[in-house]
Amino acid sequence: MWAALALIILLTVFSIYGAFIGAARAEQFFNRAPLAIYWVAFAILLVVAINVFPRLVRVPGLLLMHAACILILAGGMWGSRAGHALQEKFLGIEKIRTGRITIYEGHAENSVILQDEDLKYLFSIEPEFASDLHNRTVSEELRQEFEKHQKPLSQPVKVWVKPEGNGWVIADTSSAYIARKEDGALNIYDPTKELPFALRLKDFRIEYYEPAYLEIEISAGQTQRVSADVGLEHDLGGELGKVKIVGEYRNFKMSLDDGKRVAYDDPSPGFNPALEVEITSPDGNVSTQYIFPHMPEFGHAQGKLKITYKGPIPRMVRDYISKLEVVKDGQVVAEKDIEVNHPLYFGGYHFYQSDYDHVAHQYTDLSVYSDTGLRLVFIGYWALCIGVLWHFWLRHVSVARISSLVTWRGRPGLVSRRHRAGGREQGQDALATSKIRNRK
Amino acid sequence: MAIKYTIQGLLIYATMAAYLLAFVVTLLRKPKAGHAIYLLGFAVAVVSYGYRWVHVRHVPLQNLFEVFLCLGMIYPVSVFCRRVLRVGGYAADMFIGAFVLFPAGFKFSAEPQHLPPALQSWLFVPHVAAYTLSYIFMFKATVQAFCQLLGKNPKPGENLLPPEQATYSIVCVGFPLLTLGLILGSYWGQLAWGDYWGWDPKELWSLASWLVFVGYFHFRYMFGKRHPRANSLWVIVGMVTIIITLLWVNLSRLFSGLHSYAT
Repeated sequence: MWAALALIILLTVFSIYGAFIGAARAEQFFNRAPLAIYWVAFAILLVVAINVFPRLVRVPGLLLMHAACILILAGGMWGSRAGHALQEKFLGIEKIRTGRITIYEGHAENSVILQDEDLKYLFSIEPEFASDLHNRTVSEELRQEFEKHQKPLSQPVKVWVKPEGNGWVIADTSSAYIARKEDGALNIYDPTKELPFALRLKDFRIEYYEPAYLEIEISAGQTQRVSADVGLEHDLGGELGKVKIVGEYRNFKMSLDDGKRVAYDDPSPGFNPALEVEITSPDGNVSTQYIFPHMPEFGHAQGKLKITYKGPIPRMVRDYISKLEVVKDGQVVAEKDIEVNHPLYFGGYHFYQSDYDHVAHQYTDLSVYSDTGLRLVFIGYWALCIGVLWHFWLRHVSVARISSLVTWRGRPGLVSRRHRAGGREQGQDALATSKIRNRK
Repeated sequence: MAIKYTIQGLLIYATMAAYLLAFVVTLLRKPKAGHAIYLLGFAVAVVSYGYRWVHVRHVPLQNLFEVFLCLGMIYPVSVFCRRVLRVGGYAADMFIGAFVLFPAGFKFSAEPQHLPPALQSWLFVPHVAAYTLSYIFMFKATVQAFCQLLGKNPKPGENLLPPEQATYSIVCVGFPLLTLGLILGSYWGQLAWGDYWGWDPKELWSLASWLVFVGYFHFRYMFGKRHPRANSLWVIVGMVTIIITLLWVNLSRLFSGLHSYAT
């Protein structure tokens, strides 16, 4: 019992520590080797406890609760990074634990970008090559190194620092590699793994709580109202041609790139919303116009369409929807519209929307999770719920009901007898006894 | 801190006033009158919650304002504890009712919000409702734990459990709800974010609070009533972790996490 109490207190302390260091570091912390030992010890202790304490078997609620904890721990360990690695090594089950997959509208994709901890090691090169990467170049020697390891790089090759800052990405037209300086060597990793099937994004769209419109002046004093949703194209008819909403910006900025002005969405704090529309005149001329909801007059330059935004800013999103097809051996084997709270489940993986193209709504980022161990965890959840509800509530209600049916005034009931004998469950017994009393 | 000059605000203040009045009247040894005012306060609290429901057109458990508004309807818990568990503390409940409505009345924004996509799930109501109800029970258990520490026993004629046993009885009712809240939340995490456990600060605090009560049960099983003060301290520590889970992680800017929208 002391060991159980010690492990419970220890896990409480670990949890509080984990809460202070943030989710990402907490996940690493709880997956480290010392913690793995802790988890195994916890599971073993639970198994031992069920064998040593007859009460844990005799009282169904207690048995369910403790067995549930074993199942949840086992499921969690089976589905962990270490669990996946062990299954690959000893059972030959090669499964992607988790990762990200980016799919553009109309395209199919099966390449999953792995998390840093899951990258596949390929080979090591001399640490001096780091200066190459530092200058964002690939020297002839470095190129030969890749060739030597059957990973030839085609032209052009780009090098950039990983967004997390812990390494470089080396990418040619067809593949990408991660280079990381570790223990005096420069290790090359494959950042992707392929699923045995592909996902095709038919359409990605956002639904809003309130509609938004563009009011377009089609002649003096006459306006036409069209939906302002990104991706839609509207025919204005006559001499005006077509207008297509091609993008939206939260924090609109412009930069000069080779003398050309390029619009971009600045991720830094600030709020300068804008819509980008493409106007195709009847003679086929395409021009771009920006509409600023906060500065309606700004985009109304001479020779341009007078377009005004009508609607709330920012718009409250009701749902994100990705229309997906699962493609295997060239055949569509499943279809699903993923929404928030409604993921796609296929081939032992769950797919969730995790991000999207904020400007043009052209692609979606899906997170991929293996379902290994999940069933065990969920069976454990059911067992824990039933066990807790039975042990703390239902058995008292039923005991009280049975007692009230078969007992009689003035004689001690079933529960009261146990109350005198046990003494350890007095609170619960009191609950049942008081119920009986009320019934009387 | 701002006064709400709205119907919603007035309803909250009326409930608080009734609860506080009931509290004072009960302390002045007029329990029947106190009970009547408490019941009146509860009626206003129900109207207040119903008004919010109609106003926002979804079950009002989305943010801290709505959760605290719900916590203010504490009366049925008092009756349940008194009648079924033989645990008193009406006066404390009246004060708790007024106390939990204080942040709803003066601190939290009552601006109605649309449900963000992540909250549009059948799990939204059971997850939050289970937690809300369990928190009320645990709060009441904590009051009893303090009574135990301060040596305040019920009067002989009241037919009530002594505080240590009362604490245990209430925790026995609240703990399954705490477990349900945690499991439903975890299952919802699996549906919405892809993983049943994300190591998010709020998840870890809620696990910590659950574990403290698990520890309490094991400790009390080991020692029974031989260390009543230690038993009470377990429950108080549990309540502290619950308060941190409920408030600190949401309000503090120290941590950013998946639950940050629920501020």
